[in-house]
Amino acid sequence: MLSNYARDFLFRLISVALVCMGFAQVSAAGMIGTEYMIEGEARDASLARLEVLLARDDVARQLAAFGVEQSMILDRLQGMSHAELLALEGHVDEQIAGGDALAVIGTVFLVLLILELVGVTDVFKSL
Amino acid sequence: MPALCILSCGCAGIPDAVRDHDAESAIELVDTPFYPQERYQCGPAALTTALTASGAPVTLADIERKVFLPGKAGSLQVELLAATRTSGRLPYVIDGTLSAIVAELEAMRPVIVLQNLGVAAFPRWHYAVVVGVDPERDEIVLRSGNERRRLTKASTFLRTWRRSDYWAIVVLRPDEMPARVDAARYFEAIAALEQAGRLDEALIAWRAALNAWPRHPVPTFGLANVHFAFGRYADAERLYRSLLDQQGPSSAVQNNLAIALAKQARVAEATRMIDRALESDPDPALVPELRDTRTMIEALRSVSAEGPRP
Repeated sequence: MLSNYARDFLFRLISVALVCMGFAQVSAAGMIGTEYMIEGEARDASLARLEVLLARDDVARQLAAFGVEQSMILDRLQGMSHAELLALEGHVDEQIAGGDALAVIGTVFLVLLILELVGVTDVFKSL
Repeated sequence: MPALCILSCGCAGIPDAVRDHDAESAIELVDTPFYPQERYQCGPAALTTALTASGAPVTLADIERKVFLPGKAGSLQVELLAATRTSGRLPYVIDGTLSAIVAELEAMRPVIVLQNLGVAAFPRWHYAVVVGVDPERDEIVLRSGNERRRLTKASTFLRTWRRSDYWAIVVLRPDEMPARVDAARYFEAIAALEQAGRLDEALIAWRAALNAWPRHPVPTFGLANVHFAFGRYADAERLYRSLLDQQGPSSAVQNNLAIALAKQARVAEATRMIDRALESDPDPALVPELRDTRTMIEALRSVSAEGPRP
């Protein structure tokens, strides 16, 4: 449990951060969101809010690292639900990305490369 | 690796033909638009197809900017969902069965699916749009890649689809409900629209949900919260009260009602309401929130004309 002082401080920090980052949609102070009644989950609502905020920040950085232009990042985050942001936090690289690219995992790639070099396979022709 | 897990826990005994499902006759949404994809752009192409089919005024270029992830040479499932919301539509993940797809086609909605066209070790993830099924020929009709009308054997389709854990979504207008609806999943979908700040659409969707589930507390709570977000505190109050009448005490509802009252400068009533919430054995997770609400109302009280508490 956070002390009252720490909670206060965090709230201030969050509100400042929210304003700075220009998030249009933040539930009004103290309001309990609809999702609470769906999940019925026992989580400290204000801590949950902080977690979502941190997740958002992390996902923003990951999207940038994967080449999303800065001007689109807030737009793209805007559509994500809290649960989605939390799920993506730290895990963008592991996500499936539908795009028809042949994604070959490390060792498999090596094995295939060797097979290719010794003329057993022909899988890289079309790439 | 979630992908590997999905591949290795693929279910046993899946029916592999259209005729095993309840499509009795061939169905095909021939008017579904087609956006041939550029390299790696199957996500934007599939989503633009479904959004346009639902009447959303989007362009392929818009959607590309919203979902394509250059560093991954593809698009994430979650970004397809997010872009659907920011385009004013409600994304809903349907059950991963052919009959669920058929049910949506019968409701005139194409279905976006994620397939792995490769194999386990060689994944090649691909989004396509199912626009038809033909039980007679045992084929699935897809808008896929550069093919406006790609025909795939049902067994092949099911094998490639299984590897994504049968991921399939429909794009709903806010007033539409899925053909086969799971209440909790549908409510979550609407709440996500709310979180994405699409309040106009969330309002319409909660109304539709309330129509379908007049006794369920979630649509009323959602509708009240959206009214609140719009600043319509009297409407929100009315709905919170009806919820308390119907369902009995709920600290979440009492908390929001207290704030709605405070916003209408009815500070004494607000104080009574939040005190009642705090006294009636609230969910421990909500206690800090309730206390904050109380502090906030207390602060209003000290500046209001009513003067300090006796």
